[in-house]
Amino acid sequence: MSSPSSEAASGFRARLRGRSELGVAALLAGIAIVIAVDTANIRHTAINAGVMGPQVVPTIIATGLALCAIALAISVLRGGHADAEDGEDIDLSQKAHWPTVFGLGALILVFALSMDFLGFVIGSALLFYGSALLLGSRRFVWALVIGILLAVGTFYGFVLGLGINLPAGLLTGIL
Amino acid sequence: MENLTLLMEGFGNALTLQNLLFALIGVLLGTAVGVLPGIGPAMTVALLLPLTYALDVTGSLIMFAGIYYGGMYGGSTTSILLNTPGESSSVVTALEGNKMAKAGRGAQALATAAIGSFVAGTLATGALVLVAPFIVAIAIGLGAPSYFALMVFAFVAVSAVLGSSRIRGLASLFIGLTIGLVGLDATTGQARLTFGQPLLSGGIDVVVIAVALFAVGEALWIAAHLRHGTPPTIPVGVPWMGKDDWKRSWKPWLRGTVIGFPFGAIPAGGAEIPTFLSYVAEKKLSKHPEQFGHGAIEGVAGPEAANNASAAGTLVPLLTLGLPTTATAAVMIAAFNQYGIHPGPMLFQTEPVLVWTLIASLFIGNTLLLALNLPLAPLWAKLLRIPRPYLYAGILFFATLGAYAAGMQTFNILILLLLGALGYMARRFGFPVLPIIVGAILGPEMERQLRRALQISAGDPAALLSEPLAVVVYTVIVVFLVVPPLVKALRRRFGGGGPTAGPPEDQFDAFGTQTSDGSARVIQAVRPNSRRK
Repeated sequence: MSSPSSEAASGFRARLRGRSELGVAALLAGIAIVIAVDTANIRHTAINAGVMGPQVVPTIIATGLALCAIALAISVLRGGHADAEDGEDIDLSQKAHWPTVFGLGALILVFALSMDFLGFVIGSALLFYGSALLLGSRRFVWALVIGILLAVGTFYGFVLGLGINLPAGLLTGIL
Repeated sequence: MENLTLLMEGFGNALTLQNLLFALIGVLLGTAVGVLPGIGPAMTVALLLPLTYALDVTGSLIMFAGIYYGGMYGGSTTSILLNTPGESSSVVTALEGNKMAKAGRGAQALATAAIGSFVAGTLATGALVLVAPFIVAIAIGLGAPSYFALMVFAFVAVSAVLGSSRIRGLASLFIGLTIGLVGLDATTGQARLTFGQPLLSGGIDVVVIAVALFAVGEALWIAAHLRHGTPPTIPVGVPWMGKDDWKRSWKPWLRGTVIGFPFGAIPAGGAEIPTFLSYVAEKKLSKHPEQFGHGAIEGVAGPEAANNASAAGTLVPLLTLGLPTTATAAVMIAAFNQYGIHPGPMLFQTEPVLVWTLIASLFIGNTLLLALNLPLAPLWAKLLRIPRPYLYAGILFFATLGAYAAGMQTFNILILLLLGALGYMARRFGFPVLPIIVGAILGPEMERQLRRALQISAGDPAALLSEPLAVVVYTVIVVFLVVPPLVKALRRRFGGGGPTAGPPEDQFDAFGTQTSDGSARVIQAVRPNSRRK
């Protein structure tokens, strides 16, 4: 665990981590600014002086976020940092594998945008298949079969069991 | 007595063949999904929410009661057979439970967990029946200032008291409140944070928020760091206990119940603290303290009972005040809101049949759980070996389905992705997820109460202190916020205690005094190096 080279690497990584948490502080401040601008654009004429206007709570939230951003930035600069969440299937000794994360995000995006055209069954079967492959499944046929069964089963489960019609898309008339 | 009559009526409603079937499906699905690794009770409830869309209110709430207890029981099975638990409240169960499983006593560990959950769940639900009407009687007389104070209390509890970092907890809370802000203001009809998008004017569906934060955020986070190869699981037979196991278990069950229920019932809930307290108590009282750390059955029986009793206790503030204090309770509120039901004291007046049927179905769900899970345990254990790519692909599949079905809008899936990214960041940077969801759900309600309170006084903020309970609550909040740092400062000054490496007792003690930033988490304090063997 404590060979000199890994020690140096972890020191470098710790510094990187410190910097990325400053990014989080900046994000909080950014959200605060968005809320402030949005709230300033509310044109509300107080009809009744007794009613609290729609600006009060957003102002409190924006202030709170700004204060948190400052406090977090100070805490990070003074060396504080939080631990990433651990779990059953998580190996934190590996670096984050960005292609998987962005690949999954892209799959969900494509699924959403193609829903009306492809329909639920094709879209969600592809979502499952693509996700399983991205997550490391190498059983190319099996994963596809499971995806199709899951999608068709869910479609009919919703229609027959719950009375909810999911969009059929390309398969309209077939399903 | 009136309550008993109402409860009996509730049983009458819940015990129809159809409703029993709903309860059975709920328990089975809840356990099956809850037992899957990486899926905690909150995610179980969030993912199974869409199933209840087509049912009537009573049927779906009955199914939900089953899912609630089933999901929790599934979580403890996972932690016993896999060691690394997904939910912080099952951490303690894993400590001794996994050691027992490794020593070939997995069947006994599962049995004491199942029977203990049943005993604690039943007793604590009984306590709920006794306590709830009292709280309702008080709560019905409370005005907006008190409700506002109680919500602030819940906010402070989930963000600043639980969790490891106050700054991050509060930031999470404010992000949640921001999400709750989106849409048309209920009173003035002004659009806030909708960015001209008409689909946002109704606000973001709570189901979408819950599924995004718990399911998508978690799946993406795990995908980034997916452990290669499946962690070893321990095969197990049908749970059973010998005479000696019974003898060693029944007292911890009862003690766990007594410790767990009050912690759940005060709106500062969370099962973390009571499960720890129960573990420490059992270790102190045990005749075999040397077995602790090597698989002592008391260390499973007590904390498991405390966990379940606290979960039933959580229903007290949830049903009587409308305050969710755990992630699972927050998702439950989302389920209620689907039907336009807003938990709170009025619910007991306007929908007594519904409330008491729900409580009756908690008893039924608990009993079904015991009857099913003892024989089905070997099957659940097999579920743990599901290949991880299918598991997490399946979570994404059902998460997108749930978000879409929430309004039949593809727009919801885009929101799901955005909030899922937020959930990923929260896990990456140690921001607790609970304050986000609680803030998003309670935020609009808090604004409503604040508005009411100020309306009566024509805008004078002194009105917020016009009710005695409000003053008491604010005092407690100040004590909560000021005392722990003060104790910490005093300790540092006088050099007592301190989180230095000592016997485990010292570390539990250090937990009581909340550290403010970047400090070791509770969980890490009790299981040093348990993960990296």
